[in-house]
Amino acid sequence: MEQASVVRAALMVAVAALLDAVIVPYLTFGYFSPRLTLIAVVFAASPLRDLQAVLLGFFGGVLLDALGGDLFGVGTLGGLLAAALSARASSVRHKGTERVILAQIAGLAVAGYDLLGYTARWLAGLGVPQLGEYAVWGILPDAAINALIAFLIGGWLLNVVNVKVPHSWE
Amino acid sequence: MGRKKSSAASGLAALLILCVASLVLFTVYVKEGDCEREGQCGPLHTVQLGAAEVLQPLRSVFSTVFAPVTNTGQRLMSAFDNSEEQRLKDKLAKAEARAAEASRLARENAQLRGLLKGQRAYYDYGPLAQVVAPVGDQFTQRIIINVGTEDGVEPNRPVVIGSSTLVGRTTEVSRHTAQVMLLTDQMFAAGVRIVPPAKFNPASSEISPAVTQGGTSYGQGLLGTDLEGYLGVDLVSTSARAEQGDYIVTSGRAGDKELLFPPGLYIGKVESVSSQDIDQFKKIVVEPAMNPQDLEEVRVITDWAGRNG
Repeated sequence: MEQASVVRAALMVAVAALLDAVIVPYLTFGYFSPRLTLIAVVFAASPLRDLQAVLLGFFGGVLLDALGGDLFGVGTLGGLLAAALSARASSVRHKGTERVILAQIAGLAVAGYDLLGYTARWLAGLGVPQLGEYAVWGILPDAAINALIAFLIGGWLLNVVNVKVPHSWE
Repeated sequence: MGRKKSSAASGLAALLILCVASLVLFTVYVKEGDCEREGQCGPLHTVQLGAAEVLQPLRSVFSTVFAPVTNTGQRLMSAFDNSEEQRLKDKLAKAEARAAEASRLARENAQLRGLLKGQRAYYDYGPLAQVVAPVGDQFTQRIIINVGTEDGVEPNRPVVIGSSTLVGRTTEVSRHTAQVMLLTDQMFAAGVRIVPPAKFNPASSEISPAVTQGGTSYGQGLLGTDLEGYLGVDLVSTSARAEQGDYIVTSGRAGDKELLFPPGLYIGKVESVSSQDIDQFKKIVVEPAMNPQDLEEVRVITDWAGRNG
């Protein structure tokens, strides 16, 4: 029997946010960059209860904003979006397909985060490319590649979050 | 069942509250503005500065670890980018340029001596700074350097390589680190002047008086990077002189405001100039003298003669 550990989930998101701040700038090519925090939030929040998931998403987002140098608030909204989508998806998932579903959710969360970042830059009066061009060459590839990354590392992330608890008769 | 409904309801309520909190954070952050002066940073900018300070050692380690990977990536990219035809064209262009550049070799030699020397008479420099790491997202071109307020560095100061080749300007500065907005960042802007090679010496940053006093109208405009990533000069009148190969240098003009850059900082060369009859301004593409990937050591100009107008 498996049970989700909130502490492990929070630690995983914190480590992902740290890696996002330190390593990801080296792995950014054009509009693509790995969104490790969002992927971690999606997989960490999936086995948690709704309230825990939302709080974890906010925590991850705040870390992402604080450790990075981007507009504050975009990461928190992105984290909340990722956690909310993950929590919703967890109610319909079936055993064995959760990695695939969560990878798709991660892609969706990344697309939402990109769109939020675009809107935030526009609202803050910073330069943004044409939305259509950014959607085709920025958001779509970014979401697809991050979904692939999420699928590849998802199984391991789920194993980290879930801890085996012994049955009462064991 | 009832517990699950309760969890969903509390989750939804928390989601709404935290969304509002996120929007408040965003609004506060934007309202804070950039850290124009030391001690005038808002709380959210201060948090980011503190995090940058704490992460600096870790970033240094990863910078060293990733250096071979980054260099290999660059070599691979350049290998794929250059087709055979392009390579031959480049070779021909280089051969032609070599002949034309012969007279400038002495000047470049002097520039290299200046790079080694690293000091100029009328600029005050901060200590030599190491580039710690790139920072930011897909829309930005910024780096972190390992000097800060304790080294006399303040926000909005020019950052150069050698003595006067402009790299960018400082934005957010903490005690031991500073963020530098590179001139290839889309938010970077600087007033520039376009001067012919014969009228400017990059080694000494001396512009011939003829440029400012003569009858010929030399191009002046605003340097910036467009959304497609091209560095260019805007607002240059079609009647102004601007030719391929001309130097781009800072003009140092900012109306009655404190000057953001001293005049004469070398930025790069004019790569192409074009305009159509209906255009009000020339379209000028600039080849920057610095390559963001090659930056290792830079220097912040902390003060210069005539900074306060």
